[in-house]
Amino acid sequence: MFCYQCEQTYRSADGAGCNSTKGMCGKDAATSDLQDLLVHAVKGIAQYARHVRLAGTSDREADRFILYALFTTLTNVNFTTTRFTLMLAEAAQIRDRLKAAAGVNLSGPAAWQFAADADGLLAQAATVPVTKDKGLAGEDVVGLRTLVLYGMKGVAAYAHHARVLGYESEEVYAGIEDILDFLASDPVDADALTAQALAVGTLNLKVMELLDAANTGTFGTPVPSAVRVSPIKGKAILVSGHDLGDLQALLELTKGKGINVYTHGEMLPAHGYPKLKEYVHLAGNYGGAWQDQQKDFAEFPGPILMTSNCIIEPGPKYRNRIFTTGPVGWPGLRHLENHAFAPVVEAALALPGFKEDAPEQTITVGFGADAVLGVADTVIEAVKGGAIRHFFLIGGCDGAAPGRNYYTDFATQAPQDTVVLTLGCNKYRFNKHEFGEIGGIPRLLDIGQCNDTHSAIRIASALANAFGCGVNDLPLSLIVSWFEQKAAAVLLSLLALGIKGIRLGPTLPAFITPAVLGKLVEAFDIKPITTVDADMAAALSAA
Amino acid sequence: MAKHNVRLLTSDGGSVTFDCGEDETLVQAAARAELFVPVLCGEGQCGTCRGTCTDGTVASGAYSPAALSAEDRARGEILMCRSYPRSDLEVTVPFSQTVLSSPAVRRDAEIIANDVIAHHTRRLVLRMLPDAEDSRAAQFEPGQFMELTTPTGVTRAYSLANTPNWSGELEFLIRMQPNGAFSGWLATEALPGMVIATRGPLGGFTLHDNGLRPRWFVAGGTGLAPLLSMLRRMAEWGEPHAARLYFGVNHEDELFALDDVERLRQEMPALQVELCVWHPGAGWQGSVGTPTDALSRDLAQASSFPDLYLCGPPSLMAACEDAARRHGVPAESVMSERFQAT
Repeated sequence: MFCYQCEQTYRSADGAGCNSTKGMCGKDAATSDLQDLLVHAVKGIAQYARHVRLAGTSDREADRFILYALFTTLTNVNFTTTRFTLMLAEAAQIRDRLKAAAGVNLSGPAAWQFAADADGLLAQAATVPVTKDKGLAGEDVVGLRTLVLYGMKGVAAYAHHARVLGYESEEVYAGIEDILDFLASDPVDADALTAQALAVGTLNLKVMELLDAANTGTFGTPVPSAVRVSPIKGKAILVSGHDLGDLQALLELTKGKGINVYTHGEMLPAHGYPKLKEYVHLAGNYGGAWQDQQKDFAEFPGPILMTSNCIIEPGPKYRNRIFTTGPVGWPGLRHLENHAFAPVVEAALALPGFKEDAPEQTITVGFGADAVLGVADTVIEAVKGGAIRHFFLIGGCDGAAPGRNYYTDFATQAPQDTVVLTLGCNKYRFNKHEFGEIGGIPRLLDIGQCNDTHSAIRIASALANAFGCGVNDLPLSLIVSWFEQKAAAVLLSLLALGIKGIRLGPTLPAFITPAVLGKLVEAFDIKPITTVDADMAAALSAA
Repeated sequence: MAKHNVRLLTSDGGSVTFDCGEDETLVQAAARAELFVPVLCGEGQCGTCRGTCTDGTVASGAYSPAALSAEDRARGEILMCRSYPRSDLEVTVPFSQTVLSSPAVRRDAEIIANDVIAHHTRRLVLRMLPDAEDSRAAQFEPGQFMELTTPTGVTRAYSLANTPNWSGELEFLIRMQPNGAFSGWLATEALPGMVIATRGPLGGFTLHDNGLRPRWFVAGGTGLAPLLSMLRRMAEWGEPHAARLYFGVNHEDELFALDDVERLRQEMPALQVELCVWHPGAGWQGSVGTPTDALSRDLAQASSFPDLYLCGPPSLMAACEDAARRHGVPAESVMSERFQAT
């Protein structure tokens, strides 16, 4: 086993990476190895898909499989060796179909054969670790390969979110196939790899635009909305992950049944969408960010539906009442497909629910691009007049590491004449704090999930236009925290846009070697976070 | 080795105590006491298991400063997965008793059915009475067992044969023991409607996710119960693994639950079943011998080894484990649960 794709990867004086019997995330060695093999198989599918596309046809099912399969290898998504084995069998069938259509024999990952049994698969996996060729090509090349791969995992995840809402793009699929095909060639040229990393970022911009269209096309344009963050009396279901489509299906199924549905974690922004707000039994949000789930889910008096991603080992108190759907899976947990959520409803009716209303407490969400730009004139006036001195976009993933209270301190210590924009679940470090307002504009504006990066970019671009300057000249600082591979894709997108001076934390990715970091710092002035006082002062004085 | 008393003060104002030896971590000792401390990496790297030691001293194993800084330590904060007690301790934790407490609880259940299903064997079906939350939920992992206590105060442990459900049903397959206190009560005094005290679910004999390795189940007598639960779970969830069931008894009149097994075979076309009778009468058409004989025969021919789930009397378990070893099945692929006659 070897994996170093997440922020929580094992670090010691000897180096970074989880390489024993279990990862920091809880995945066991067999799961990690099968994930490596699945990535290898997916590259092979991409090689043939690209070949077939260049000859004039495309294979939708193969592209959809690429997205889903890669999504299952992101951190905290799927931990079941059974599912990985089934996907490997499916990968072989898809590759065979494409190969027959292509009429040629490609080499490399495209030539992989599905091994006869479990031991065979693990033996194959051992030949394709992410650190392959480290001896030959060096750590920098391996690190750049993984930067491209992990960015592509994020791209695949976002594209999958759009796909399940019915939004797809041949241009996006072609781009995904191209970059995976490039990885399949085991590239050794650092410059070519760096260029591809930025290509991942550019591709991800298209994907995030597609996802934005999918969300607003399906659920309407988000509007600022008050959300209850304390529960009300009644039977209850908790929905976590990122998938709004799954939430809607559950809301439909539970209409009129006397069950309240609560969002958890990154599902919070659901409350800003008009079509979801229509469900009166979408009662509020419950709990904190993903890393608190062992506590939050144990205390929640109803079943939990975990969609898309961000699951960790379930505690004994709730493992019989948590259900997975989509790419997520954990051994022994009931997995539901195709919105067949009746077992969740059955559990909700049998479990106690909340016995009484808790005192009301609300926060506000839904400040997507349209909402913010709808008051653009007010914002611009406030900036020109000096009422708003600076914007901080505090975006990205939360996590358990104690050092992440940096983000709590940063946001709460931001001066009164600054505005904080949030994007992603690190907002839970401070989103119940009272921020007040400046001239009617709330000082805390939650743009949405990390899925809503396109919205953030629209806001920044529109402001740059209004002020007649580049995004880098705006009084705007990006304070980005990361945990997994969606964040890696977002980071690459920000770099692809030429955004400079991003402060990245709480630690830097283990797969970015010192030499590569040096280049990124040189080109983009990426800064690791230091202390709140120092970074805040530097951010405000640089403006 | 010295044992110390550890008191955890929980966020809801409660407190729980447990013993902890100097050679075990607080997380390990808590687990022994069936208390679940939220923990993720278990290696002092992620910071999930932090608490504040408000009284007493701990020794600390290696951990990452990213998970616990010097300032944190100075404030008395500890990582419970890395802390070994050196005195009695009081630790404040940021989660409630609900999070911590074991799912094994005491609940009353009423008898629904108590039927003789074979020579020396009864099927006992209970239904949970509504608990304080008005729920009858019967939640457990297939393969686990419950402790049952009769109104006369006799307690025995039996494996659950059915699958988790919200209506409260608990099914047990019980071997009648000559002069058995529990089985005697079942045979002579138990009536539908009577209340049995239950405690559970208990036990770690459960299905493992091990890729698509075939799963072979070997049952001796009422050892069939937990394996039936596991197979029924596989059928309900549509699990794709190839499966085999070897069900052995001494005489044919001891066979039971054959219609349940047949129903399973129809729901799981990939399930192969072999009934083994050790000392059959003249009319017996099936396999003669013990399940061990059948298991050995098939292991010798298998191209790759399966995961084995074994349940039955100790002698059968020992023989099957031995057969598994001889045929190269690794220890981590052999899961067994011994039934003791009491």
